[in-house]
Amino acid sequence: MHPVVAARGLTKRFPGVVALRGVDFDLRAGEIHALCGENGAGKSTLIKLLSGIHPHGSYEGELRIDGQPAAFRSVRDAEAAGLAVITQELALVDGLSVAENLFLGRAPRRGWRIDWPALYRRAADLLWEFGLDVDPETPVGRLGIGQKQLVEIARAMDKRSRVLVLDEPTAALAAREVGVLQKHLRRLRAGGTACIYISHRLEEVRALADRVTVLRDGATVATLGRAEAEPAVIIRQMVGRELTEQFPRPAAAVERRGEPLLAVRGLRVAPPAGSRVRLAEVSLTVHSGEVLGIGGLMGAGRTELLLHLFAGWGRRRAGEVTLGGRPYAEPAPDRSIARGLVLATEDRRRLGLIPGEGITFNLSLASLGRFTRWGGRLDRPAEEQAAAGLFQSLRIRAPGLATPVRGLSGGNQQKVVLGKALLTEPAVVLLDEPTRGIDVGARVEVYQLIQRLTAAGCGVVLVSSDLPELMGMSDRILMLAGGRPGGEFARAAFDPERLLAAALQAAPAVPHPLPG
Amino acid sequence: MKPSFSPRAFALPLALGVLCLFFYLREPLFLGPRNLTQLLVEFALTGTLALGMFLILLPGQIDLSVGSGVGLVGGIAAVLVFHHGWPAPAALGAGLGAALVLWLLMGALIVRQRIPAFIITLGGLLVFKGLFWLVIRNSTVPVVAGGGENLYSRLTTGYLPAAVGLTLTALVLAGLAFAQGRDRAARRALGLAVPPIWGTILRGAAVALAAFGLVLLCNRFRGVPVTLLVLAGAAGLVHFLTRHTPFGRHLYAIGGNEEAAALSGIPVSRVLIGAYGLMGVAVALTGFMTTAYAGASTTTVGDLMELDAIAACVIGGTALRGGRGSVGGVLCGALIMAVLLSGMTLLAVEPELKFIARGIVLALAVWLDVRFGGEARG
Repeated sequence: MHPVVAARGLTKRFPGVVALRGVDFDLRAGEIHALCGENGAGKSTLIKLLSGIHPHGSYEGELRIDGQPAAFRSVRDAEAAGLAVITQELALVDGLSVAENLFLGRAPRRGWRIDWPALYRRAADLLWEFGLDVDPETPVGRLGIGQKQLVEIARAMDKRSRVLVLDEPTAALAAREVGVLQKHLRRLRAGGTACIYISHRLEEVRALADRVTVLRDGATVATLGRAEAEPAVIIRQMVGRELTEQFPRPAAAVERRGEPLLAVRGLRVAPPAGSRVRLAEVSLTVHSGEVLGIGGLMGAGRTELLLHLFAGWGRRRAGEVTLGGRPYAEPAPDRSIARGLVLATEDRRRLGLIPGEGITFNLSLASLGRFTRWGGRLDRPAEEQAAAGLFQSLRIRAPGLATPVRGLSGGNQQKVVLGKALLTEPAVVLLDEPTRGIDVGARVEVYQLIQRLTAAGCGVVLVSSDLPELMGMSDRILMLAGGRPGGEFARAAFDPERLLAAALQAAPAVPHPLPG
Repeated sequence: MKPSFSPRAFALPLALGVLCLFFYLREPLFLGPRNLTQLLVEFALTGTLALGMFLILLPGQIDLSVGSGVGLVGGIAAVLVFHHGWPAPAALGAGLGAALVLWLLMGALIVRQRIPAFIITLGGLLVFKGLFWLVIRNSTVPVVAGGGENLYSRLTTGYLPAAVGLTLTALVLAGLAFAQGRDRAARRALGLAVPPIWGTILRGAAVALAAFGLVLLCNRFRGVPVTLLVLAGAAGLVHFLTRHTPFGRHLYAIGGNEEAAALSGIPVSRVLIGAYGLMGVAVALTGFMTTAYAGASTTTVGDLMELDAIAACVIGGTALRGGRGSVGGVLCGALIMAVLLSGMTLLAVEPELKFIARGIVLALAVWLDVRFGGEARG
């Protein structure tokens, strides 16, 4: 029997770059085949060849579907052949309801009119089947990133495609949603659907994939069977060297001296219009040199907590925030930055970057005051020097400092967001999912950066959906559940099951296992 | 933000050259010193207003009220001079103050009350038009009493003596050269890449050639018109603001991604209100010059100038979405608009056709922005 997809010797050249050099790749019916590799290894290019974005004729090599030579000239051709691609950029219309999005362009009709009752009935069925607790009439714009992604996956699954290509589907998902997704992928696999699964989360790959193909520098390095695909092996293949120490944070407890840099007591925040997350009874402290991890499921209020502390998200109903020993009543970004508090946002494209502008422009944007001289003039040489320093120390990979950040890879965009925060010379750094969607190499660099920050006396708040990362990099972990504290744990008490249990409980006013 | 090697950079001067050639072939007087000087005055009117509009479009805003504002502010000053006997400088100061207050008020309404700029300034268009006609009582109010001269009238009848024009140009060019040299020295001291010297010299030579050519051309008639001096000052200031100050960075950042700009600690509201304030100043300057150019404030002064200003910006590569554009482009766009209007006037094109031509140029410019804007980015 032929593989569903067979690629032989695929080579794709861009001006000045060879993105793929003779890649071989097989996808069998009823298998989940993971594709791993650092950013820039060629995963996206390979997907774009398979899905017709790079049309036939723009590359060398051969592509066969069910043994027949395929020559996709467009995405439409690929879809007609049964390939569905779900990319990181979601193809949903924010203004339309969930149901309308699920059946976009293929709504059930009665004559020439849309059959609304049928549409909503089928949408409700599909959502129920997919285990997604969303009202089909909700506008998609009201959903969080994770839920949007699940809606899009549900839509692709409903199209009964034979080959499902998922490009980092879980990057924005919390553990529970990852579980739901995996369950459905396994069910689809049992039904004979083949799936290409791109993820940087190797534990997921291990749990899900039948085979793993590793790409490095545009070439296939190895295809591993289920038994061999240990995360350490995959990492070794990806980077071509052993990453002995994924989490560089020493296990020794950090000595907490003096006043906390940031202290929150009994914080209660009402949400602004359009959000349902409310924070209550939240208390935390961050000392110099310390990493406080914050975990929780999607919608637990982690991002909102950071946004409130940094930018005054919502309305504060009760509680006290102390920053650098002084009360901080009405947070706003400019005031926060002036007082040494900075946020590196999770939603890089929407909240973190000015996409059309260059690296220097973005890096210095929050610290322009430092480069302003007599008469309000910007000292551009000084600005560029600072940017060049960060460019080197963060190992941002780009043709130059003027390169628009829109064209950078996810990892390099993340480094620009972090660099912008660092340039403000902060005392407390709030990191929201700093390693989301970036490759292993860049991830380790982010961890090393956290190390450097704490060594220099900064306090760090690290929000992460990745439990191993949270446990590997935090000195203490605060779990949030439904906007309330679900428990706080010291490093010695870190245990995945207990952390998860704390995240799952929505009960109010839990006594802290440790005095926070 | 970075000056880049884009086809647009060549397309604009090329279009300008083709337009000039066309009008010259139809009417050789077009390139005569008298007509050219007049053309430059009209260029200064459109250009000054377009520079203000540039500061509004950069952060993704729009202002439709500026045409009415031009009439109103010019009218206020004219009434104060003619009916109330104020000295011209005081009247101009009062007009400037009024414009500043009105535009800061509009900016505050747009930003603090979150009413779309399109609506507020469309309302402003009508309100200012009504106020304008009330102020001048639907009559014609000369800018100076009894055929004399004052600061107001000299705005468009004044010319710099030949030597002054040349000296001023030389001083400005020397200043620019000095700034370039200091920048290169600073870069070298910090160990940064210094752009090749021949490129800088070549560009400097081109700028110097253009500047001296323009001044010598003006000197063949009566000298550099005062309006052109106003435009040059405004252009220099706006260029400095947008490229060399945090305020300018903030405008680009807000236009590029407002939410990210706000989370970077940029005081978005203050910056936007500031931009509207500067627009008010541009409206006042243009209002004085336009009214003086007409000789008197009449009900039609400033009509449709908002559209010429927007067209000039967009033709010059300013994105209507915000976040992209340059002073050089805006000046080029304004010159194209001025050439078009003045050329058509010279050829005695009927007013009906002139309206149609202006409309088509505006639509064409926006279409080009939508069609090719994405590629010219970065």
